[in-house]
Amino acid sequence: MIIFVSLLSVPSGTFSAEKGLTVRGVRYFSYTTFTRIVFEIEAAAPYVLTRTAGGGALLFSAYEGPFMLKAQLPVIHDGVVSGVESKEEAGRNVILINLDTAAGDVKDFVLRGPDRIVLDIAKGTASSAQAAQADKPVVVVLDAGHGGRDTGIVTARGQEKSMTLELAHAVRKILQKDSRLRVVLTREKDQALSLDERAGIANAAGATLVVSIHASAGSAGRVYILDPDDDLAGQEAVRPSSNRDFLSFEAGSEEQEKLWGRQQAAHTKESGGFGRELARQLGGGEGAEPVQAPIAGLKAMDAAAAMVEIGMEQDRAKAAEAIAKGIEQYARENR
Amino acid sequence: MPERIDRRIGHDRLLFVVVVIILAAAAAGVYVWTLMRSPGVQQNAEAPSQPALAKPPRADEPLMITLYFPSDGMLASGSAAVKRQPDGQSQAREILAAMLGDQRAAQTALLKDIRLRELYLDATGTAYVDLAAAPQKEIRASAGEELTAIYAIVNALTQNLEEIKRIRILLDGREAQTLAGHIDLTRTFGERMDLVKQ
Repeated sequence: MIIFVSLLSVPSGTFSAEKGLTVRGVRYFSYTTFTRIVFEIEAAAPYVLTRTAGGGALLFSAYEGPFMLKAQLPVIHDGVVSGVESKEEAGRNVILINLDTAAGDVKDFVLRGPDRIVLDIAKGTASSAQAAQADKPVVVVLDAGHGGRDTGIVTARGQEKSMTLELAHAVRKILQKDSRLRVVLTREKDQALSLDERAGIANAAGATLVVSIHASAGSAGRVYILDPDDDLAGQEAVRPSSNRDFLSFEAGSEEQEKLWGRQQAAHTKESGGFGRELARQLGGGEGAEPVQAPIAGLKAMDAAAAMVEIGMEQDRAKAAEAIAKGIEQYARENR
Repeated sequence: MPERIDRRIGHDRLLFVVVVIILAAAAAGVYVWTLMRSPGVQQNAEAPSQPALAKPPRADEPLMITLYFPSDGMLASGSAAVKRQPDGQSQAREILAAMLGDQRAAQTALLKDIRLRELYLDATGTAYVDLAAAPQKEIRASAGEELTAIYAIVNALTQNLEEIKRIRILLDGREAQTLAGHIDLTRTFGERMDLVKQ
């Protein structure tokens, strides 16, 4: 049995492992590529996520102190998860998540305010994942900006949230003709998603390339990539390693949660190249450079990532074609 | 002969006295000049011949500052006069109040929708700029507008006040992820002069 310990990053003074962990709600979402289970917790505390020896189940509990379940567990049976139950193991309460045949890699991460622990269980067994590794498609994640009550900017040409979704669908339609590419959208409809949720979806899908789509007034487009954060200068970026656990971080590392939001730092070079290709295709010409900016939505993307901002007055079909061409061109030259 | 000798001695004495007077006058002149150059005397001396730049600014004299406003995806600079304040923190508030109250800000996305709640300056040179949505306004902006609006604030403070090195932006007194959904506010900002139009 392999044990992974996840420590929530909370301001010093507010952290107390002795209080244990109290789960006050459990929700789940079945997406096309993974199943997400969200544990709503009362207060930040360390937890343990264990995969059983045969790999057929996950055990979730408090790292120290009592583990309280104050919510009803949902009935899940979606091919990835075959059931969730509360039980006692070796004298302590745990939540047992039974995995189905389609279950693959598992990632977990923490969201704050309100505090939640999120498990993303990918679709695809370990063996099929290994087989697919040899001829792995390029996973392109298209993130349509804004959504739900967050309309983005509003102009005479409409709301930003609608335009970004329209563009994401149009780009996907073009890219689907290329069998080497697998396209995932962070949202398919008018839906509110936090920036962390968007990154969670992209990372769980195993994104190779991420394009966050936004809009501006007028007819000028721009491409942005994340600029280095001076506050983090000298600190190690999150880099892929052979000794990775569910979180893609070092197993048992206390930095697991601290590192959330720093994934993009490991992809600076690729994102620069990807951003240049998109800027070139979006009309910037041969020497076009993306703008470096502290884009919040790119920080936690564990892939080459860029944000495109399309003018509301621009021809949307042409803009979609340019984005798709930039993705295809970069994928062709870098795979 | 004795008469001629006495007259000559008399001339020598006169010459000696004149030289002594000239030397004394020169020494006095050097002494006065030295005193005039010392700061304490300079502040009190009424010397209209002193150059105007050497005068310390008067408290009621306006302070000329450089402000930055978003323009075509970049920042355009312009000057303004603000009331001189006794300390850096109050001066920083005065500068941002002038900027947000400027006609050019009133025509700019994001800047027209925010107000300054408070501003604090710590000992390390970090200014904490606490913003809020203006009454009956919603903060909405594209990524480019949000980027330039934030750096208009950052550059205005770092360029006009030597004691301010970095900026943290808060929303309603708390750390926020973004102002309008794009630019990361969880980091500190340093000046970005590459965004200023040349």
